[in-house]
Amino acid sequence: MKDTMDILTKSSMRMLVAAGFLLLTAITGNAGDIKIIANGSVKQDSISQEELRAVYLLQRRTLRDGSRAVPVLQKGGPTHDVFVREYLGRDAEEIRIYYQGLVFTGKGSMPKEFRSEGEVVAYVLGTPGAVAYVSSETASEGLKVLTVQGARKTGERGLITRVEPQYPETLKQMGIGGSVRLQLSISPKGEVDRVLVLGGNPILAEAAVEAAKRWVYAAWPSQTTAEVTIPFRPNP
Amino acid sequence: MRWRVLGLALVCLGLAERSQAQEFKVWNRAVQVHGFASQGFVYTDHNNWLSMNTNDGSGAMTDMGLNMSSQLTDRLRVGAQIYDRNVGRFGQWHPSLDWAVADYHFSNWLGIRGGKVKTTLGLYNDSQDLDFLHVFAFLPQSIYPTDLRDTTIAHTGGDVYGNVALGRRFGAVSYTAFAGIHHDSIYSGYPYLATQWSAYFRDIEGPQYGADLRWETPWKNLLLGVSRMNQEITAKGFFQNNAVAPQPVPYQTTTKAYWSNQYYGRLHGRRLEVDGEYRRYVILFPMFAGSNVSMDARGWYISGTYRVGKHFEAGSYYSRYTITTVSGGLAQFYLPSQTDTSLPQNHVYDKVVAGRWDLNRFVYLKIEGHFMDGYGLGPYPDGFYPQQNPAGFKSKTNALVLKTGFHF
Repeated sequence: MKDTMDILTKSSMRMLVAAGFLLLTAITGNAGDIKIIANGSVKQDSISQEELRAVYLLQRRTLRDGSRAVPVLQKGGPTHDVFVREYLGRDAEEIRIYYQGLVFTGKGSMPKEFRSEGEVVAYVLGTPGAVAYVSSETASEGLKVLTVQGARKTGERGLITRVEPQYPETLKQMGIGGSVRLQLSISPKGEVDRVLVLGGNPILAEAAVEAAKRWVYAAWPSQTTAEVTIPFRPNP
Repeated sequence: MRWRVLGLALVCLGLAERSQAQEFKVWNRAVQVHGFASQGFVYTDHNNWLSMNTNDGSGAMTDMGLNMSSQLTDRLRVGAQIYDRNVGRFGQWHPSLDWAVADYHFSNWLGIRGGKVKTTLGLYNDSQDLDFLHVFAFLPQSIYPTDLRDTTIAHTGGDVYGNVALGRRFGAVSYTAFAGIHHDSIYSGYPYLATQWSAYFRDIEGPQYGADLRWETPWKNLLLGVSRMNQEITAKGFFQNNAVAPQPVPYQTTTKAYWSNQYYGRLHGRRLEVDGEYRRYVILFPMFAGSNVSMDARGWYISGTYRVGKHFEAGSYYSRYTITTVSGGLAQFYLPSQTDTSLPQNHVYDKVVAGRWDLNRFVYLKIEGHFMDGYGLGPYPDGFYPQQNPAGFKSKTNALVLKTGFHF
């Protein structure tokens, strides 16, 4: 009886630890989902990681499309911590010191800081050129969500599910093949939101797009883009 | 004195929870207000250091600053900062305009700022007063001497600056080119040192120009840079010595224009930061007509800081400073030539360990130990003054520094 109790207790403990671990993982995962939002005046749909970093380090005041860039900060919190670590390569304390160095030497102003994501969204809505980061769950109606281009990061983002395209039978019989180049826009959760055809036979591209839409990538702190090439070989 | 230190420390702690950067509106433009203050206490076992009576323990180490700035348009920003310090004989509670700039940003690669501008020279010249930014209570004195901060800290003139992205393979470069006039405080190290020769300066200034180029390399978090600055210094005052000239005799000396060359690098990890800098300058000035003095000062340091936790950071550095002097004519009587840098009067080697504890976002405490070899006497000050050490110098000095401060 005692042995049975011991086994049950150990088993319960293991389950409890596993549940705790899963819960922790879930919390960490949520904290890591970030999207980059911008005021509607920003013309471009994407921003490179280097560009975003330069904007937040106050090295760039305009984006590559020429529009004004006004970085907005959160006053601490998990989203802020993940953003400065992942995108600026510093921790929250270091980035605060960096800004203070500019402010107290007369070489820059402190970016606007807000305590809540609601305040961040409201400010970005009303400020031309404002760029900010919020949790991916935060509503962002009326705002532009910028995809972050970064081959290095996208390259690291693993493809979990790959669906092969249906080769159009007629083209296959006629021996027509080639490659289709696509640009994928991938959500923080890993779903392919948008597919842009960059090149290739239009009929093959249609099949490639249908397949790519069903691909699933690993979760990532923000929206990313990836360029992929899908080959079609009539005689493999 | 110690009660004053304690008092200011308590004020800092009291302000801790209330400190917030202030912002108000003037003509519908947001104006940011930021400030800081720090208070230190220094004890040395042998020589008195930095013009304080550190042998007895000295709390004469206070500074503070307050600035206001506003972004007037997308491209135009204006601001100014008042700074005041009392560190031994330096500053003596005479507030100064630290910087006052109008900054216009044409594009990412071109901006200009004019007014009184902090001089960009190496990693920390422009931020050396901002104690709350650093782990160390004293930055390496071989490059950032507390007693000579006025000589390099700012210029009245302008900067041209910018940042050029070179792509992922090559990183980015930032440049700053500057020109103007530097005005040194008469409450700083050189005027104080000169009083031992019965020279009393009332005005020290001169033209300066130079540039800084820093490269953010494509290798993660490695920064490399070089700064060059050309300065000429004219010191005006009078000579008065009861034995020789009981009445004040006007006195003026102007250095030959000279270059300060500085090379630096910073490697930045998740918790670790390693800095290294080297600076050299050779100054030639006539002490009297036909009596030139030439001095060659070289300094370098390597430092490392490590963030142990969210609130605690530890650091250490090794700083090495040497000075040689070659005098001619009458100047030899005042400043005999010194060329052997192994002698303690011609160098200061400083090993430092430090810890910084952030009580919250605004208030911090620091503790620091210095183990110094040498006392570097010469025509240029480097921390040790005969007036403060009338019984002569010991070759080694250990110092304990405690410091607290707050900023908002």
